Amino acid sequence: MSSVLTQPSSPPGLIAADQALSIAQADALAAYRDLSPYRVQLVLEDDGWHVDYELKKTGWVGGGPHYVIDARTGAIASKRYEQ
Amino acid sequence: MQAPTSTELLKNPEVQRALEQAWADSLADDPALRHEEGGWIFCEVAKGAIMTKRAPSGKRAGMDLGSPPIEPGFMVVGTFHTHPNPTADGWRSGPSELDKQTAQAAGVPFLIRADDGDYSTGPDSRRGGMAGNPGYPT
Repeated sequence: MSSVLTQPSSPPGLIAADQALSIAQADALAAYRDLSPYRVQLVLEDDGWHVDYELKKTGWVGGGPHYVIDARTGAIASKRYEQ
Repeated sequence: MQAPTSTELLKNPEVQRALEQAWADSLADDPALRHEEGGWIFCEVAKGAIMTKRAPSGKRAGMDLGSPPIEPGFMVVGTFHTHPNPTADGWRSGPSELDKQTAQAAGVPFLIRADDGDYSTGPDSRRGGMAGNPGYPT
């Protein structure tokens, strides 16, 4: 199970952290299939929710998906798949 | 003796053979089964011969290169691994931020094979040369 670090509060009119996480996770699961090696961080910034998956174990190489989710519409504004 | 550079390692026939085998074993053409493969590159202290050893198979976008085995008479001078996920599907082919950080911490060049070519990250050659710990020089 991946672990999640969040900045949980969001102003009115913006989607909540758990909604942003769900949107990112649906895409991430399709691309990476197994998210258990990852720690997830959500931060609300000026351009939307930043959802970043990072490998948890030391000594590993590789990478995870990184998203910016539009905080008003829930659309994926940008994404980057690292490996 | 100088430790080989990343450019020299990428030209070495043994390293090329290891990269080709790792790429084949990564099953890059199979969307369900593709995964990372790789291992460590050793240099014989006495004669400079290059040898490779494989690490356990990795996951779709990561693998453990943290604990190279000790090979008597040899020192670790690099690692290699694959990035089997396709650039055509939006995957970054070059070294990830974690690749860069892990290579710098390990102190040897990390070589990567992707669908658009070979990459290296980390120091250009083993930090401190052919001396010290036979594993990573850190």
